[in-house]
Amino acid sequence: MNSKSKVPCIPIEGSISWEDWLKGRRFRREMGNRVAPEIIRRKRSSSDRRLKRLFNGERGLPFTPTEKL
Amino acid sequence: MKMDAKKIKTALADITAERDPTLKSAKLASLCSALWAERGVELVVVGGSAIEILTEGAYASGDLDMCHATKAALPIAERKEIMGLLGAKGGPRNWQVAGMYLDLLGPAESFAHTPYRRIEAPYGSFLVMKPEDLLVERVLMAFYLGESQTARDCAKKFISVVLTGGVAVNWNEVRRLANLPEYRNLPQCVQLVKEVADELKIKSPLHPD
Repeated sequence: MNSKSKVPCIPIEGSISWEDWLKGRRFRREMGNRVAPEIIRRKRSSSDRRLKRLFNGERGLPFTPTEKL
Repeated sequence: MKMDAKKIKTALADITAERDPTLKSAKLASLCSALWAERGVELVVVGGSAIEILTEGAYASGDLDMCHATKAALPIAERKEIMGLLGAKGGPRNWQVAGMYLDLLGPAESFAHTPYRRIEAPYGSFLVMKPEDLLVERVLMAFYLGESQTARDCAKKFISVVLTGGVAVNWNEVRRLANLPEYRNLPQCVQLVKEVADELKIKSPLHPD
């Protein structure tokens, strides 16, 4: 558990439950957003052809907005 | 306990319908890990997929990369048999399954002495690459991949999530790995961790004072 925020931490030893991992998603996204842009998916890679074929010209499914996590 | 065909079908329907890319990856990792474990092989999520599951950094693309954490890998025939149960196309390393791609790579490469992280997911627990390895590797990419802004942003987000307590790491291990001949990037790790710590207005765990 993160002592300041009471958000579950992914621990070194043992495991994190699915519920706790889900509960921490928004916190983790928000902490990343404090130091870099929200979406940082690469524009291209060697897998582009197959990705764009499957995801209608994109490189993957759209990310869930932070406020919906 | 072995997953029966009905359970696999239900899981597959859930994963196929999932529209959140990170949940989709995590659930597919869970299902595949369970099926491989039945045959004595442990899989681990690696690369950008692992970063995404640990940080929610909105970084990964629509493919899930997994390696085997155990020494043995599954023979191609058995891999094909399992992926056939999932209605996957392609193979033997790259598969299209449940509306995404799964890349089954070789043995996992890790230098850290800490354990793989474990997430208890809906179809069974799965392993994620050790964040100590990922952190040092991402800093390396941030500094040596032609000044890639994306690589730098990815490393900074990763460090921020760690510094704010979202993911626990052993900083002594980070320091040790960064001094290994494979990386030799401790000064860059210290620099980037300090940069993020300063932005967050907290103390850097890698800073000497």
